[in-house]
Amino acid sequence: MQGGKIMHVRIALAGNPNSGKTTLFNALTGSNQYVGNWPGVTIEKKEGRLRSDKYRDVTVVDLPGIYSLSPYTLEEVVARNYLVDGNPDAIINIVDGSNLERNLYLTTQLAELGIPMVVAVNMMDVVEKRGDSINLKKLSEKLGCPVMGISALKRTGITEAAEKAVELATAKVPMVPRHRFSDTVEKAISAIEDILGDRIKDRHERWTAVKVFEQDIKVMERLNLDENLRDRIESVIADCENEMDDDSESIITNERYQYIASIIKDSYRRKSNEKMTTSDKIDRIVTNRWLALPIFALVMFCVYFISVTTVGAWVTDWTNDVLFGEIIPRAVGNFLTSVGTAEWLKSLILDGIISGVGAVLGFVPQMLVLFAFLALLEDCGYMARVAFIMDRIFRKFGLSGKSFIPMLIGSGCGVPGIMASRTIENDRDRRMTITVTTFIPCGAKLPIIALIAGALFGGAWWVAPSAYFAGIAAIICSGIILKKTRLFSGDPAPFVMELPPYHRPIAGNVLRSMWERSWSFIRKAGTVILLCTIVIWFASNFGIADGRLLMVEDINDGFLSKIGGFIAPLFAPLGWGFWQAAVATLTGIVAKENVVGTIGILYGFAGVAEDGQEIWGLLSSSFTTLSAYSFMLFNLLCAPCIAAIGAIKREMNSRKWTLFAIGYQTLFAYAVSLCVYQFGMLLTGNGFSTGTAAALAVVALFMYLLLRPNREKTFNAASVEAGF
Amino acid sequence: MLQFIADNIANIVIGALLLAAVIGIIAGMARKKAKGQSITCNCGCSGCPSAYLCHQEVRQESRDD
Repeated sequence: MQGGKIMHVRIALAGNPNSGKTTLFNALTGSNQYVGNWPGVTIEKKEGRLRSDKYRDVTVVDLPGIYSLSPYTLEEVVARNYLVDGNPDAIINIVDGSNLERNLYLTTQLAELGIPMVVAVNMMDVVEKRGDSINLKKLSEKLGCPVMGISALKRTGITEAAEKAVELATAKVPMVPRHRFSDTVEKAISAIEDILGDRIKDRHERWTAVKVFEQDIKVMERLNLDENLRDRIESVIADCENEMDDDSESIITNERYQYIASIIKDSYRRKSNEKMTTSDKIDRIVTNRWLALPIFALVMFCVYFISVTTVGAWVTDWTNDVLFGEIIPRAVGNFLTSVGTAEWLKSLILDGIISGVGAVLGFVPQMLVLFAFLALLEDCGYMARVAFIMDRIFRKFGLSGKSFIPMLIGSGCGVPGIMASRTIENDRDRRMTITVTTFIPCGAKLPIIALIAGALFGGAWWVAPSAYFAGIAAIICSGIILKKTRLFSGDPAPFVMELPPYHRPIAGNVLRSMWERSWSFIRKAGTVILLCTIVIWFASNFGIADGRLLMVEDINDGFLSKIGGFIAPLFAPLGWGFWQAAVATLTGIVAKENVVGTIGILYGFAGVAEDGQEIWGLLSSSFTTLSAYSFMLFNLLCAPCIAAIGAIKREMNSRKWTLFAIGYQTLFAYAVSLCVYQFGMLLTGNGFSTGTAAALAVVALFMYLLLRPNREKTFNAASVEAGF
Repeated sequence: MLQFIADNIANIVIGALLLAAVIGIIAGMARKKAKGQSITCNCGCSGCPSAYLCHQEVRQESRDD
């Protein structure tokens, strides 16, 4: 070391999620990085140069937040691969002082790697505020490495911790773990170390031996031992398991926690007996085995009921009927007439743009209310519990609550929902999650729900919530059906999740989130949807007559009606086999809001009938309540918008899987709509028809797929890879 | 020609404004496409109420509040 310069040193930053690792990394390196593992940004590790006057050439590597070095999650595998193969010179293990017991589990594993380590106990201010105390010196003696108190947020102690790590790295002082397992286990570990011999690096000898004892799949794959060695190791493990009457992994886990308990006993003082926090008390009810689901159902019912049917609807009635129905069309129409605008241009602006965009923007008040509620639920911490609540149900058909997180996010927008699926390490579960995520109604589908609920059902209270629960039912049923197929079978992955404490929603956060999402919606209306309305107006108002392209008097003679008429028969069994509905559905591929915009144009939303009749009322001449509900369900459940399809393609990374997902969604939507319409017709006294027979066949197939025994217990990776 | 323009000045101006708006929208979409962003989606993490779950800095700050 010369003049403050040292050899290049790499320090790995390791710790649990939410231990303050990101904040520490930013403070040490001065860079702004987003890192996390739940619900998952990326799992890439971030690097930064240490900001220090004393040490120049030090790189800090921020590893994904992990709870242990097990092989169950991709984040854990990435982190430990780096620690084993990346050869960092030192580790800073950041530990949340307010959750010491849980955090030390990782510490005990890191210690076994033999890499010089400093333990940085973060959130010391939180510990002190509680009146608790941590004896850092005792902790250091117990762990066998330096332990320093820091506050990453307040930037106290962080420089000292980093410099200590650099000193250990340059001195090349290996970490010697203090904790020993019971004699029986230590004997087995020793035997494994002898069997492995020089196949493992000295530094990682102990860690590798412990992992082999735990029968870690990834470590065994890397060692690639011959059958003889494997048999010998298995024999050693079996003997130990028999003696201790437990499986090897549980033995190690239990003994680690016993060791941690002894550390806590000596070095952690609580001010008072542990009392239940407010969050714990609320969670006793909200996550209760029996009450959790009814509470969730009630909450979401209220959200959609208030957004669509009451508060939101009151304002939307004004925006739809008055603002975009009378004020703006009249004002613009009068202006265009006064300046002598040509009729076709007037029609384009009034009947095309204002009708289409206005129809969509008219629902902004309901969207504002919905987004406000969703932001409120997120901000207070309730939504995090929903994933935990749904885990119980999802596990019954082979998924975990981790798969529900993308769906939660998808209730705002499907694109980030689909992207959030990348945190699911199991390929099959991830593909299935991507396939079903967009069944949840996103914000863009809300105008469709609101339109049908308002125009065809007179604002009935049950329509909007039923749309949401139809999405949930579609997810659950699809999960059950798909999990029984070879493509998706397999055991659910473990689901470890930290529940953030409840806190009073911050008004600023809620309003900001509400505004940003709504502004995104408004911006979309003024760009993509505006373009689409122009295209739709042209296509519906122009046609070929006498071999010439000209403006038609009746939109039923336009191009659009020809195109729509061609595909409309496909939807006849669903009750809406007329071209306007078919075209509206088709335009929904560009953006789901377009469904409403297209209907607005085709039914003359901006115009006012001579007799003053509300134009939305004209819809009821085309739709019955039953066919309207069928139309709504199809558009909610079918393939999502182009942006979401693009996200599916990126996340699936396979054209065939993308086509599968879109095909499945559309087919499912068709089947559901068919059954709803046909059985509805039967129940309303319209007699048995071919459509009813088809619906019965669909239901029979559905019940079979749902209820058949799950024979695909063993996942055959080769068959999936061969197929795609 | 001049007479034509005079008779249709309103159409020309309004049509030009509309065309400019359409070109502007398409240009904006092309720029987004060039950046690798979705041209039909304005969704992103900033507006997502679950953003704090993914972006831990937000969570850390709110936790310390």
